[in-house]
This record gives sequence, structure tokens and C-alpha cells, in this order.
Amino acid sequence: MFDRDAWLEVANNVLAHPLRTTLTGLSVALGIFILVVMQGLGYGLQHGVEGQFADDAVNSIWVEGGRTQVAYRGNQSNRPIKLNNGDVPGLASQADTIPAYSRRIRMWGAEVIWENPDGENPSGNFGLRGVDPAHIELERSNLLSGRFINERDVLESRKVAVVGPNIVEELFRSAEPVGAFVRINGVLFQVVGTFEDPGSRWENRVTYVPFSTAQALFRSDDSFDQIIYSTGDMTTDATIAQSGRMLGWLKDVKAVHPDDSRGVRVDNNNEEYAMYASIFEGIRLFIWGIGLMTLLAGAVGVANILAIGVKERTKEIGVRKALGATNGSIVSLVVMESTVLMLVSGSLGLMLAVGLLTTVAPMANHEYFQNPQVDHRIALFALVVLVLVGLASGLGPALRAVAIRPVEALRDE
Amino acid sequence: MIDLRGITKSYSTGSQTLQVLKGVDLAVGSGELVAIMGSSGSGKSTLLNILGLLDAYDGGTYKLDGKLVANLSERRAAEMRRELLGFVFQSFNLINFKTAAENVALPLYYQKVPRKERTVRSHALLERVGLLDWADHLPSQMSGGQKQRVAIARALAANPRVILADEPTGALDSKTSEDVMSLLKELNGEGMTMVVVTHESDIAAACQRTIRLRDGVVESGGYV
Ligand SMILES: Nc1ncnc2c1ncn2[C@@H]1O[C@H](COP(=O)(O)OP(=O)(O)O)[C@@H](O)[C@H]1O
Ligand SMILES: [Mg+2]
Repeated sequence: MFDRDAWLEVANNVLAHPLRTTLTGLSVALGIFILVVMQGLGYGLQHGVEGQFADDAVNSIWVEGGRTQVAYRGNQSNRPIKLNNGDVPGLASQADTIPAYSRRIRMWGAEVIWENPDGENPSGNFGLRGVDPAHIELERSNLLSGRFINERDVLESRKVAVVGPNIVEELFRSAEPVGAFVRINGVLFQVVGTFEDPGSRWENRVTYVPFSTAQALFRSDDSFDQIIYSTGDMTTDATIAQSGRMLGWLKDVKAVHPDDSRGVRVDNNNEEYAMYASIFEGIRLFIWGIGLMTLLAGAVGVANILAIGVKERTKEIGVRKALGATNGSIVSLVVMESTVLMLVSGSLGLMLAVGLLTTVAPMANHEYFQNPQVDHRIALFALVVLVLVGLASGLGPALRAVAIRPVEALRDE
Repeated sequence: MIDLRGITKSYSTGSQTLQVLKGVDLAVGSGELVAIMGSSGSGKSTLLNILGLLDAYDGGTYKLDGKLVANLSERRAAEMRRELLGFVFQSFNLINFKTAAENVALPLYYQKVPRKERTVRSHALLERVGLLDWADHLPSQMSGGQKQRVAIARALAANPRVILADEPTGALDSKTSEDVMSLLKELNGEGMTMVVVTHESDIAAACQRTIRLRDGVVESGGYV
């Protein structure tokens, strides 16, 4: 069955029917092309979202206030809930260990002016955050020069600032930012460091100042917006349990109804990460489903075309039998033809898909879409499936070809 | 070489049963060139298909080359066709995507003759029928007479004991028919046994003996 002559015979037959070969090849190539490209795009999406998670430490718990939805304990609904300095020890008491944490005050737009002693004073609108020293680890930012906010800055409410790359670029350009003075919403701060954040663009448009300074200058009370806890190497279950306890404690203290999901929020990335992981599992399955379906459609197409081919070739098969062809040689001829067709066109589709992904990948880098890539196991699996499907789709028509009796085939009509 | 006794064959189409052969007795000796004649629908092709092991018969006995042919498996039939028989058909039945040489070499392929030798032998056979220059042409590029000569070369390729021809000149004009018949006669002159089915009397006249088929039995000429 595997001698050189049989293969030459197969090659001869395949090449002798260019239209049939092209049609079959196209459907198979398309199937595998779609499978591999979709798989690659799925990976791109996954990498993109994983990149977003790289923004913040995965092992953290985020606590913030909101607005109530339900009237409770004599309070109206739609009541704003704020976190206060006084809540910090209580929240910490719900933690398994004494965690690293950072409170956070957010301002979306603050005017920042560089007090340039030797020239004009450029200005711009940037984000402002008052934070504790641990924030740099919790947000996973990288210090580029100078230092970050430290304990003494917070204790003494110093007017120091750490600026992001966009501020450096837009205000200081090539000048040295560390040591320079900036006026933020009218108050003078000294720049002590610069950082960058791999997470998102927004994170690079932020100026950090000590938490206590921000609270004293920009808040009328002792409230703040968020508090972030590190959970270190706690397990997912322990993290979820701890966020549950913190949420319960906070709801009780703030008089938020137990079923009210908007009054206060306690999120942990663990939970979110697990959710995204399961979403990706779903997307991957979906892509597999579609890919296999296209492949199957291709296979059905091949089987159909082969069946038509066998019908067209009734006479030829009859002649071969009259000349002494055995049933086995007819079966292997048809099956080998279909397998060769599937394999060659499948490899073509595969190469095209890999080519497309590798050339387009570097161009397509968006926040939520990065590094689409080819999974070699999938490529290999697809090839194996192609061969099996080729064998299977050839078998039906081949058996039909065997059933042809030479007399029927040779009847002159 | 061929010996038939009381061969019967019927076709059933739905509820109808058509008795085509009702007891055919005939013999063809080695080296003979015989014609089988009869009107259209008299069962000539049916008889030839039975002779060619392409179809089974219902009753009687058939001896080919001294061996009784009965209840053959598909595999054994293919083997006997390959070794003993060559076929020539009215509509040539060349494989249209293969060249003349490839068509001639096909029986050798099924006899597992090595490729080189196949090429040599197919070219020699094409030379024998006067078509060496057409070796690399496709059937669609050839005339009817040329195609039939390629088909005859193909029938010779397996070095058979008997050549069975079903209306070999049925699709040809009278001039080409003569050429084909003289080729068959030449081959017979070299010792090849041949059975030619025809309904044309001048073709039958070119043969040594005529077996007449009528109403499912041999009317005359069944034996020498
Ligand atoms: N496979 C078949 N099924 C049913 N009837 C058939 C079949 N083959 C041949 N016949 C019938 O048998 C008769 C003899 O056919 P055939 O041997 O082809 O005649 P001839 O070759 O002498 O013209 C015809 O009536 C034909 O219709
Ligand atoms: Mg006939």
C-alpha cells in the first residue's frame, strides 16, 4: 500500500483533477486557517486582559464606599457611604495577618504647574492620588528615579510628590524632575521621585502625594476613597473569606443592609481573576467548538467531493477492475487520495495562519489585545485530526467504489 | 481454451425476470479467432461478460484454460482477469487523464511490474500497434481508431491467453474498422486467442468462425 508506485498513482490522480482538488483543498485550508487564527486571537485577548491584571497585585483586597440602595436602620436609601480613618483598625481586625495596606484619595483632574526658575512655567491637567507608602507595591508600579512616598512623609504631611512618565514628558521634557517644585491646585510640592506603571495609560498620568497631605488639603473631613490590602501568599479561599469578613464588618458599622451590594464594596482580584480565568476557559472552548465545526464542515465537503468523484469515476474504477485491480487497491487509492488532499491543503492553511499571526502580531498591540500566538500543540492536533478526517471521509466513498461491479461500470450508455 | 455447457443467466428487474441466456453451449480453441453474432439485445455482451469473469452465471459449467470457473471470490476473479484475459470495449474505456503509455501500462501496474519495465513494455506495445509517436498524448487528443489501438495494446499488456472484444469497431467508421480488424487478425496470426462480439456481418466474415446467438441459445457455430 505504501510503495512508491501507489503514491505516484495518487499524485497523478490528484493533479489530474485540478478543479476538484482546488475545491476540496480550499474548504480544508479554510477550516484549519480559521481554527488556528481564532485560537491565536483568543490568546491575544487573553494576554491583553492578563496584562490588565498585571496592573495591580493579584493578591490584594480593595475596599471602597458607594451609595446605599436599600433603606436600613432608619436611614434613607441612596445615602453616600464614606470610609474614614477610624475604620482602619476595625478593618485590620478582620484580617488574618497584619497586612500591608494603603489608603487612597483620588482626584481625577488636578492642575499641575512646574515652577521653573529659569524659564516659562508649563502646566497640565493630571490625576492626583494621596497614598500610603505600600501603594507602590500594591499598584505594581516601578520607581524610575528618586524615591516613593515614605512613612515620614505621611506622618509629617510633607508636601512632596512622585510623578508619572506623562508628567515628566509634558512638563519637564528633558529637564530633571527630581528636586523641582510643582504647584498642584495652588499648593507648592517638591518632586522627590518618578515612576512608571506597566498597567494602563491612565496610571502613567498620575501624581502621588502623601495620604495625610492630600486629606488635609483636599478633604474637609477624615474620609478617603479606597483602602487596598495586600493578602501576601494567602490562598484564594482564605482571601475570599477575609474579604467576606471585612465586608460584613463594614456593612454593620456603616448601617448598610446585608443584601445591599452597592453601599460598600470589597473586591479581591483573586475572585475576579478566577472569574476571568473561567471566562477564558469558555472563550477557548467556544473557539475550539467553532474551529472543529469548520473543520468538520471541511471534512463533509471533502467526503462529498470524493463521493461525487467516485461517481464520476465509476467507469474508470470499472476499467481498473477489469484490468485486474483488487478491492484493496481501489480502497487504498481513494483513501490515500483524500488523506493526501487533506494533509496538503491543511498544511497550507496552517502555514498561512501561522504566517498571518506572526506578521500581524507585532502590529496589533492594544491594551486588551496582546501577543496573539500559535499554540503548537493545537497546530499538531489539527494536523492529526486532518489525517483522521481524511481517512474517514475517504472511506465511505472508497467502499462505494468497491461496491461498483465492473459490468455496471462498463455498460455503454 | 474456453468451454461452456448449458450456461444460463437471467436478470430480474423488480418483479420481472428476464431470461437472457437459456443454455449456451460452445467451445473456443487455443489460437482461434471467433465472432459472436446476434441481434441487439440477444445477450452477446452478457455472454462476453461471463466469459470475462466480469459477471456471474446462474447455471451450467464454464471452463477457462482447463479450470472450472465457479463461485469465484472477487479477489480470485481479479487475479484470473489479470493473468488470463485482455479486454477491448466498444467505447475504448481508456482513462482520460492518463496518457496512451500510462493507459497501456495500467494492467502491468496491477501485476506489480516495476515502473521502468512498465515503461519499456508499454512503449514496445504502442510501437506494435503503430502509435509510438502518440505515447505521451491523452486519449482526448486521439481519433477513435487510434484510441481503439491503444486499448488493444493495453489488452495485450498483461500477456493474456485470450482477448475478449465487445463490438470493437462499433464506434468506428468502415475504414478504421478495417484497420482495427486487420490488427486483431495480425495478433491472432501470432497465436492470440480472440473472441469478438459484433452485429456486423463483414466483421464476422473476417473471423475464422461465427457463433450465432438467438433466443438465448447458440443457433449455429458453437463448435468447430
Ligand atoms: N444488468 C442488467 N439488468 C437487467 N437487464 C439487463 C442487464 N444487462 C442486460 N440486460 C438485458 O439483457 C438483454 C441482453 O443484453 P446484452 O447482453 O447487453 O445484449 P447485446 O449485447 O446482445 O445487445 C437485454 O434485453 C438487456 O436489456
Ligand atoms: Mg452489447
